[in-house]
Amino acid sequence: MFEKVLVANRGEIAVRIIRACKELNIRTVAVYSEIDANSMHVQMADEAICIGKAASAESYLRIDRIISAAEVADVDAIHPGYGFLSENAHFAEVCESCNIRFIGPSPQAMNALSDKAVSRALAKKAGVEIPPGSEGTVENEKDALAVAKKIGYPVMIKAVAGGGGRGMRIAHNDISLVKGYHTARTEAEKAFGNSGVYIEKFIENPHHIEIQILGDNKGRIIHLGERDCSVQRRNQKLIEESPSPLLENKFRKLRDKIGKAAVRIAEAARYTNAGTVEFIVDDHGNYYFLEVNKRIQVEHPVTEEVTGIDLVRYQILLAMGEPLQHSQSQIEFKGHAIECRINAEDPFDDFRPSPGRIEMYYQPGGRGVRMETHAYAGYTIPPTYDSMIGKLIVTGKDRRDAIDRMNRALNEYLITGVKTTISFQQAIMQDPNFRRGVYSTNFVEQLLGGARRELIEEKT
Amino acid sequence: MDLKDIKAIIDLMKKNSITEFELEQQDSKLRLKRGLNGGTPAAQTDDSVPMIPISLPVAAPSVAVASPVAASMTNPGEIDIKSPMIGTFYRSPSPEAASYIEVGSEVSPESVVCIIEAMKVMNEIKAEVKGVVTQILVENGKPVEFGQPLFKVRSS
Repeated sequence: MFEKVLVANRGEIAVRIIRACKELNIRTVAVYSEIDANSMHVQMADEAICIGKAASAESYLRIDRIISAAEVADVDAIHPGYGFLSENAHFAEVCESCNIRFIGPSPQAMNALSDKAVSRALAKKAGVEIPPGSEGTVENEKDALAVAKKIGYPVMIKAVAGGGGRGMRIAHNDISLVKGYHTARTEAEKAFGNSGVYIEKFIENPHHIEIQILGDNKGRIIHLGERDCSVQRRNQKLIEESPSPLLENKFRKLRDKIGKAAVRIAEAARYTNAGTVEFIVDDHGNYYFLEVNKRIQVEHPVTEEVTGIDLVRYQILLAMGEPLQHSQSQIEFKGHAIECRINAEDPFDDFRPSPGRIEMYYQPGGRGVRMETHAYAGYTIPPTYDSMIGKLIVTGKDRRDAIDRMNRALNEYLITGVKTTISFQQAIMQDPNFRRGVYSTNFVEQLLGGARRELIEEKT
Repeated sequence: MDLKDIKAIIDLMKKNSITEFELEQQDSKLRLKRGLNGGTPAAQTDDSVPMIPISLPVAAPSVAVASPVAASMTNPGEIDIKSPMIGTFYRSPSPEAASYIEVGSEVSPESVVCIIEAMKVMNEIKAEVKGVVTQILVENGKPVEFGQPLFKVRSS
């Protein structure tokens, strides 16, 4: 049993991890940047160590300082959360060499899935279809044009080292392809330090379906069903739900098929701990592998609610060397869960970030309502990190029930002092297409472009 | 800078008997100084751009790491030498050797004032200021965090 765990993250996920540790009687150490001194995760942890100035590069990304803090506090393990160093194989290796357990996949598993091109090759080998596209990275303009000609427009140019929805461009013809190719490479170099790009067919009306997996150190992998994350804005997820209405309504048999494909890929990578395998599904039921997220994800609570399984606790137990406690047949699904991400952004001003001091704060409650947040009245949201301040997850006996409950919960939610996307989420919940379960990743753009503004009431 | 914030800082200064306060941010600088008789501070602000609102610290949680001190008297001209890293603080190069500095020692920017040990590496920490040491804020062998004040120096 771990006695002490250091949480190498901040915000709502740090709070989540601290809670899971407390429930296992594990002492917690928070690390924080100077601007996060009043953050909830710092208040909740048993110990807290300042590791640098506000900028992530000066604090939450500083491997040396995090390891120093881990040594000074004498911890047994580090949970990296999501983002930051969670998928940094080098960090995982440094932890191991310092005799500190890294709560996540092994460095070997991370390297087997090191970037999108490598992962796609692995998926192909595991017999899983990938979107038609280039074999590996595209090295020059001529090759790019040849690939596009072979698979047909429209195509996506994607950075191999991209993630979190960043580093992607669409091209509809040769001219936009050439332009997009060069721009994408330059941007990728600047943003990810890796200019490698690949090209794949752009699927019309794509549905983003991802499978949660868990693996132990004996090589056993199980999946915990899907999450549908198609409601996105600029490739950033806004709403996630399980089960997927697309699979429920149209393609019931796909759940099992996609789940098995995810497990095959994880086994090929010898994956351990928690992870998510992402797929694109089109309107005809064709599914294609996209990538593996080698970490616990933002939307993990959705799966927790429909399976009754605590994923963060599982991560900690698996990292301690425990075997998986469930077989695949023991995973059952009950009810329907929806998560709305709440961002400090102004939906009336192109979602401009709205950092600042939260004045009044009242979060929704009651049956079937779960809040994951670090926000509180009087908390000042710093401008230096992402704008997500919390996640509202509701569970109902079926999808209709869950949507009604989400409406009820969003209505109760009160935040003043900063702008939030609560009212925008309400508009989505009331949208007829969303309610019918008929939507793809184009949904938000269509909603914003359409005449639905009158549905979005400003919340003061 | 918001007048409300300046007033809050002034109140804090009075409460903790602090006579001088300086805050430098990316785009502005504020310096408050009050006479030892408790006269009102003269505020000078450099207000070329709007300031980010300052959030004032709430009561800190109990930390196992040696916490930054309860308000110690900061006299005019005194500067803190702060820790640039996380590790264990040592006053001398080895257990048998003498401390690098004591209260009253003169330091120059290049003077080594202490060791902070992290991951088995002993890092010599330089003063980076010129002056006389007036206070030693951390006990030998205690852990320190980033930004934690280690010594007070009356600069010359």
